[in-house]
Amino acid sequence: MTSSSKTLRAVMLVLRIALGAVFVYAAWTKLRTPWELFAMSIDSYQLLPLKAVELVARTLPWFELAVGLLLIAGFCLRSASAATALLLAVFFGLMVRAYAKGMEINCGCFGANDIISWKTLLRDGSMLAAALALTVLSFVQRRNATAR
Amino acid sequence: MKRTVLAAALLPCLAIAASFDSGKTLGGTNSPIVLEVFSSFDCPHCKEMHDDLVPLLVRDYVVSGRVCLVNREFPLAGSGHPYARAAALYATAAARIGKYSAVADALWKSQATWAINGQVWETVATVLTAAEQKKVQALAKDPGVEAEVRHDIDEATRDNVDRTPSIFITAGGRRFMLPGGVPNYELLSSVLNHYLGQ
Repeated sequence: MTSSSKTLRAVMLVLRIALGAVFVYAAWTKLRTPWELFAMSIDSYQLLPLKAVELVARTLPWFELAVGLLLIAGFCLRSASAATALLLAVFFGLMVRAYAKGMEINCGCFGANDIISWKTLLRDGSMLAAALALTVLSFVQRRNATAR
Repeated sequence: MKRTVLAAALLPCLAIAASFDSGKTLGGTNSPIVLEVFSSFDCPHCKEMHDDLVPLLVRDYVVSGRVCLVNREFPLAGSGHPYARAAALYATAAARIGKYSAVADALWKSQATWAINGQVWETVATVLTAAEQKKVQALAKDPGVEAEVRHDIDEATRDNVDRTPSIFITAGGRRFMLPGGVPNYELLSSVLNHYLGQ
């Protein structure tokens, strides 16, 4: 194994463990309370009808948990990292929209008291960048493995 | 008869009276759920909550003794809210003579006026007799009333409240804050039913 591939593996390990832990924690904060609390956060974005809000509130935490565990386990890494990047891109887009509209709402990321601010945007933007990097690296690793 | 039943149901929640101002609570004595609402009388979202959501809560949960509703003060501070604290003091003073609901209703109803022209007392006085006006004016200057409002603000700040309305639910041995803003009633109702085991 070359030193560059070792570095690549190390960076990927850090990224997937960090992102996986964040997703598992985010899922846990939602699953330990009634789903309606998360639904209220989603509803405050004023984007979806109530039925869709309920559907997202009931299913998204489980999806976050699954993606988080897959990242930590390093299983189906390309799919898991791509799903993570896609989710974070959607979250980030919605948060930027709310912030730009001056909506003082809970972001719904980690529980009830997480109001959208430049700090939450910086946090989620950093996570999105990390997820995109992990996605690219996982595909690069796969290509390198296939080429050998 | 109907009025008597309603009045009995809206007696202050005795179970929690030790920690909250009993003059500002609505609900049964052994309500399994306590719902605390931190409001500022000059906040439009709080008015929306008071006008649209609270009546539904009272009708569906408070009257039946399943939820105890506690009104708490979090007067917004800063240059944009010059009269919020005075309104909180008058309402708290009115609670001491059993007139909280009447005064709060008047403040919500005329929010757009007094929040601009500063005629808080004039608004409060409209729902009080001359004798009550004297009492409320004296009580509003009472250090105990000031301390009560201060206590609400301090407790809210400790619980990371930084906007209004902020709602806390205490149920099943847990106390937690709802996501900010005026909640959708259907979702709030669903949360309450969850803790009521329905």
